[in-house]
Amino acid sequence: MAQKFEQLPEELQLATSAHVKYIQSLDTRKDEYGYWLTEHLRLNGLYWGLTALHLLGHPDALPRNETIDFVLSCQHDSGGFGAAPGHDAHMLSTVSAVQILATVDALDELDTRGKGRLQVGKFIANLQNSETGTFAGDEWGEEDTRFLYGAFNALSLLGLLHLIDVDKAVDHIAACANFDGGYGVSPGAESHAGQIFTCVAALTIAGRQDLINKERLGRWLSERQVAGGGLNGRPEKKEDVCYSWWVLSSLEMIGKTHWIDRDRLAAFILRCQDTENGGISDRPGDMVDVWHTVFGIAGLSLLKYPGLEAVDEVYCMPKAVTARVLGH
Amino acid sequence: MADQGSYSQHGIARTSRVRTEEQRQRDLDHITRYRDLEDQVRERIKRSDYSPETFRLTSALLKLNPEYYTIWNARRRCLISSSFSKRPSGSLPSKASSTTSPTATTAGSSTESSSAPLAATPPNLASPTAGMSGTTAEETTQYDSSDAESEAADLAIIQSELTFTIPLLLESPKCYWIWSYRLWILEQAISRLPAARARGVWEDELRLASRMLDKDRRNFHAWGYRRHVVAQLESPALNGKSMVEAEFAYTTAMIRKDLSNFSAWHSRARLIPRLLDERGADDEARRKFLDAELNQTREALNVGPEDQSLWYYHQYLILNIVRPSQYPAMAPHFSTTDRIAYLERELDEIRSLLEDYDDVQLVYEALFEYTLFLYHLQNG
Repeated sequence: MAQKFEQLPEELQLATSAHVKYIQSLDTRKDEYGYWLTEHLRLNGLYWGLTALHLLGHPDALPRNETIDFVLSCQHDSGGFGAAPGHDAHMLSTVSAVQILATVDALDELDTRGKGRLQVGKFIANLQNSETGTFAGDEWGEEDTRFLYGAFNALSLLGLLHLIDVDKAVDHIAACANFDGGYGVSPGAESHAGQIFTCVAALTIAGRQDLINKERLGRWLSERQVAGGGLNGRPEKKEDVCYSWWVLSSLEMIGKTHWIDRDRLAAFILRCQDTENGGISDRPGDMVDVWHTVFGIAGLSLLKYPGLEAVDEVYCMPKAVTARVLGH
Repeated sequence: MADQGSYSQHGIARTSRVRTEEQRQRDLDHITRYRDLEDQVRERIKRSDYSPETFRLTSALLKLNPEYYTIWNARRRCLISSSFSKRPSGSLPSKASSTTSPTATTAGSSTESSSAPLAATPPNLASPTAGMSGTTAEETTQYDSSDAESEAADLAIIQSELTFTIPLLLESPKCYWIWSYRLWILEQAISRLPAARARGVWEDELRLASRMLDKDRRNFHAWGYRRHVVAQLESPALNGKSMVEAEFAYTTAMIRKDLSNFSAWHSRARLIPRLLDERGADDEARRKFLDAELNQTREALNVGPEDQSLWYYHQYLILNIVRPSQYPAMAPHFSTTDRIAYLERELDEIRSLLEDYDDVQLVYEALFEYTLFLYHLQNG
């Protein structure tokens, strides 16, 4: 595929240095109202930005020590992490914290300066619903397969999966399966590419891909590709760069990325770049953000775009990192 | 919708990122006001001040930023510690109270505790972890008001909270935190009110779910929310009974408005097994039901053969014909001859689509898949 990308016109080349600068600039925007309105996403945003930088081959573009200090400053006594200092602990920010520390090879800091690796594991394990096997996001009880995946992701990185009832969680995922091969937020809910990623990735971590109807799911996922080359998240919806990740990584996990037109997807992602100021948007010509930037770049990495580090399709982290942490 | 800034935005046209001096000044003014309010709320949270004044400040802050989940949590804590009545749940004669919380625990214990169940916090029906709070109640519990008065007061709070969130939800219909806060409030209705009263609150909520789906027919938050509300309305806690007929009729109405609404087709497919069981449908009734669904889908496909939603639903019907062990709702006892005849007829109908639409990929995919099914049926 590398050959073909080089034949793409100038504006379809990856604007690596602009993207690096864009991500580096995100924490310098304190005179913008939006910066303050999004503090509840700060730790997630750091994970998105850091992952994008690693995939772009610029792992040192954010200062490592400050990164670790910030992550630890978000931790509560319970072991869970909030989105920023002063924000309540939540599954989503806790998973991001673990992913960030794993990426910068600083999980040991949880024991030396944090509340301890085991305490983080206990925070997550306590959110499992002992009746159904699924997970809540926090003590207030919202449940969603996103949180179940988050638990599997973080606990496997911490080597603490034994703290939860994996079989029960797997049963819950099986109950979320639909006739079209996809998975929803909860049993009975419509198939949605984002939830499919969470369910397929959790089953992959649990070693239970045997429960997936790969033919039917592969077909549903490949039918997400629209005429313009991009992917949507559900039937009859618009394409969006973030589904380049949810759909493509799911196809990768079940070994069927060749069921879509990969070159046209890569071209669609590249058309969504702001080549001048950096960043990637949901569709060509829209405002960029770090969320679409990381999932666009991760998608390109799965498509083997030249010059990008390989991404792990289960964890959305650099493959070199997951290999080191998981001992693969 | 709250500005998600550089984190996640959808469908907003790219414009110059250079602000005029005037825009920059306006941003700075907003920031000053926002951070001032935020500082006040966070300072109160820090000293576990969950008073009515803190509650009022959360209203102002959440209107500016409904994504701020920590503030929704603070608002819950305000309601638990200073607004809702503190009757033990056992005082509600209409409720099962097997998991009554102790009424005199945790007084004076550390406010940092993250797992102390609140005195008088009612058991939560949806989750073992919900309903717990990271704070402790002020030990001011008094039972001097009558049950009726405190019920009326609780109902007023619940209704006021539901009203407060409606404009926020209309503005940010995909904000998870607002939906989950509303559900928490509704669960308070189950724990704190007699079943008939609580039922009224949940029935109103079903109307809201319909209203949200009228605005956006594919909003999967609203569809999921609707399923949850219906499940609660069907439950014994709300003196409920099955609503499967009404919900099935709702999917029919939604599909008539918009054939491409896969959310409605999905919901329909999910309801059918229960619908037929509850009707006590015999084999003949099931066959007639299948015939009607096939006719309806075929007619729709004649108009929109490019529509994936219709084909997915058609696949579901075909799975009922060819995989009765997995999908036993509509044709559980067909003979193999019946199954072959049904499948051949569908294949004929699809082939006739090619006369008008010979360049639609989905038509060929269906022919391909169903022909393979036919081969397997014919060859055991």
